[in-house]
Amino acid sequence: MTDSMERREIRLAGSGGQGLILGARILFEAFAIEGRRASQSQSYEPTSRGGFCHSDVVVSEDLSDFPLVTGLDALIALDQVGFDRSIALAKPDALVIVDTRIDARDAEGRRLHRLPLTERAVVTGSGRIANMVALGAFVALSGFVRPSSLDEAIRRETPEKFAALNAAAARVGLTMGETAAAA
Amino acid sequence: MSTRLTALHGNHACALAAVAAGCRFFAGYPITPSSEIAEHLSYELPKVGGTFVQMEDEIASIAAVIGASLGGLRAMTATSGPGFSLMQENIGYGAMIEAPCVVIDVMRGGPSTGMPTRPAQGDIMQARFGSHGDRPVVALAPASVQEIYTETIRAFDLAEQLRTPVTVLYDQVIAQLLESVAVPEPATIHVHERKWANGAGAAFQPYAAGEDGVPAMVRPGDGHRVHTTGLTHAESGFPTQVPPVVDRMMRRLLGKIDIHAAMLERYETLMTDDADVLVVAYGITARAARRAVMVLRAEGLRVGLFRPITLWPFPEGPLRRLAGQARAVLVPEMNAGQLVLEIQRLVAGAAPVHPLGRIDGEPIAPDQIVAAVKELAVHA
Repeated sequence: MTDSMERREIRLAGSGGQGLILGARILFEAFAIEGRRASQSQSYEPTSRGGFCHSDVVVSEDLSDFPLVTGLDALIALDQVGFDRSIALAKPDALVIVDTRIDARDAEGRRLHRLPLTERAVVTGSGRIANMVALGAFVALSGFVRPSSLDEAIRRETPEKFAALNAAAARVGLTMGETAAAA
Repeated sequence: MSTRLTALHGNHACALAAVAAGCRFFAGYPITPSSEIAEHLSYELPKVGGTFVQMEDEIASIAAVIGASLGGLRAMTATSGPGFSLMQENIGYGAMIEAPCVVIDVMRGGPSTGMPTRPAQGDIMQARFGSHGDRPVVALAPASVQEIYTETIRAFDLAEQLRTPVTVLYDQVIAQLLESVAVPEPATIHVHERKWANGAGAAFQPYAAGEDGVPAMVRPGDGHRVHTTGLTHAESGFPTQVPPVVDRMMRRLLGKIDIHAAMLERYETLMTDDADVLVVAYGITARAARRAVMVLRAEGLRVGLFRPITLWPFPEGPLRRLAGQARAVLVPEMNAGQLVLEIQRLVAGAAPVHPLGRIDGEPIAPDQIVAAVKELAVHA
């Protein structure tokens, strides 16, 4: 059925405070720039810092489709707890992008990429932009949206004084993802 | 219709729709997961000359809303289950004195304070029977951020036309969900003007109505004398317990809903024409059911979905027709079994009606419905 062909489920997982919700919001916007409809949700708990947190984007042209994840096409995990709590939801052929610090043995046969997301974020300017590096790598490896749409979405969704740094971090991630794809 | 696509969270869409529908008064008390409605209205209402009041509690909130309504404004409050409980008496009062207003109830896990950040659909029967006595009840159940927008506007339209409180019920999932919404241009949004009384005079009867069952409302300052009471009252507005008068007034009050049944009815069907198993679901659960129907159809099972958008009064006729063709009916909902009771009553044995309840604070997933339908299909 066409709607299930077009449906895409993407999760950003990690700990509270890692910019997962902003990351998903930017992805939502990148899809919107390309005319795609999506739903974005997040774990919503009384605790906001630390502990397992996730933010999801479900892309579907069917306006009334189920807006929550049922089987992930892509999982981006920035720390161990995010990976551990989400990997079971990933489809057998899902794209899985994790930080090199993560023990991802449970990824089993999925398209796993362990990348130095945090390390390169620190070199680029701050560990806090690992989410942007991850988005860049995701766009390069998934092909779900164009790099230009991601760049535009970052500029729309982040405050002006951080936009250039965030966009630079995403470009670092794109290059990293392109290299990983070629390897 | 001229529209633009905007990314909105459910509660934000509700607030913007209220303003677009002409709401100019909001009184409320913050409660998760409805608080963003109040937050956004605290910014939006002053921009259009409206009034935002944070009250001391939910009882005062609905009381202030009813007062604003009598004062001539389109008025709204928003809450969640615990606050909805506190509002019940005054919602009944609003129905009795025929004060148009809108109550948003963003449902969370209950009972009591339950689970503030988790979704539920446990207030369905409270919306129907929560206030004592018999009263006209209108409740709407949107299933998406887009529908929160359109149904909030419709809630105002129905409230103003029928002179009665209208409840909009949705859950934490769509309240906090970000989706693309087609926001219509303001000029294209139409909410009926309240029927105003004109022609003052000693003979004025504030609760006398014509064939539509809806009495014209008094605009303060127009020179009418009006008495407002929650006691059973005659057409004069003054209390009475004279049986034939009470009977006449109560039947008119309740009959307003029947007279306008066609206007109130709203539902959606998906692949119901040949359905052996009919799934009846509302709100976020209907979206899980929709995905389940797609999956099951791809596997060759004849399954359909009936989704009430107006929950009360329930779209009885269409449901009866479709259930009559089915071999089994499944009612998934995030409670221990509420709407299923109404469906069992309506289907009246024409087909077995099965509940599928979830009460752990998690939304019902499509695969749960898929599994339940397969089980029914085997035994149907």
